[in-house]
Amino acid sequence: MNVWLVTASVLLVAGFVPVVWGVATGPLGRGVAAQNLGTSVVCLAILLLSQGYDRPSYVDVALVVAVLGPVGTLVYARLLADELQDDPPHTRLFTVSVVCVTVPVVVALCLAGGPGRAAAKLVLVGVLLVVGNVIASRALTGGFSRSEVTR
Amino acid sequence: MTDVLVLISLLLVAGSATAVVAVRDPARQALVLAVLGLTLTVLFTVLQAPDVALSQLAVGSALTPLLILLSVRKVRRPGRCEGGDR
Repeated sequence: MNVWLVTASVLLVAGFVPVVWGVATGPLGRGVAAQNLGTSVVCLAILLLSQGYDRPSYVDVALVVAVLGPVGTLVYARLLADELQDDPPHTRLFTVSVVCVTVPVVVALCLAGGPGRAAAKLVLVGVLLVVGNVIASRALTGGFSRSEVTR
Repeated sequence: MTDVLVLISLLLVAGSATAVVAVRDPARQALVLAVLGLTLTVLFTVLQAPDVALSQLAVGSALTPLLILLSVRKVRRPGRCEGGDR
């Protein structure tokens, strides 16, 4: 069990227990925000696992999570728009914490792997995570006008 | 030592699966089901099965909650035309 796997375990425990708690209790808006945070936590954990097991192909799973997570959150924001409008969730803390964890993790993984195609893929996953989180939290708090979210 | 990771993933799966059953509101159940799909993805990755993790991710955390939410919307608002739901 190397340092990457230990980091992944710590990230999973510290990140996912509050996510399950936040989704299962409290207002619905907080649940959607917590689910969005959960996708980011899982994405970072899979990145760390792929480095820890020395299997670069696992990065593909993280890439799919990074794409599907914000898309799913946008779908929830669209379908639960009425409930979210009454009580918009506070997502700033989630977004800031995701960015604060994503940047060091991606930088450390890039440094460990060295330059090349794998590093470019890691950076792509990191950028997707950060941009997706910003877009999703704006959609949840009603930052976009209704017509923009619903197209 | 990787048993610790397997144990953590299994506990997370058990916790979120219990939450799915304990929660009563259907819309919220869809959300918790999505989180359960995510924990299963982690479990399959830890068990060295990334292909199963990928399909679990697509089905469990995206498609099933979407279907449930669409059905909940349809049931709650009878008389609404179907084109508005898509």
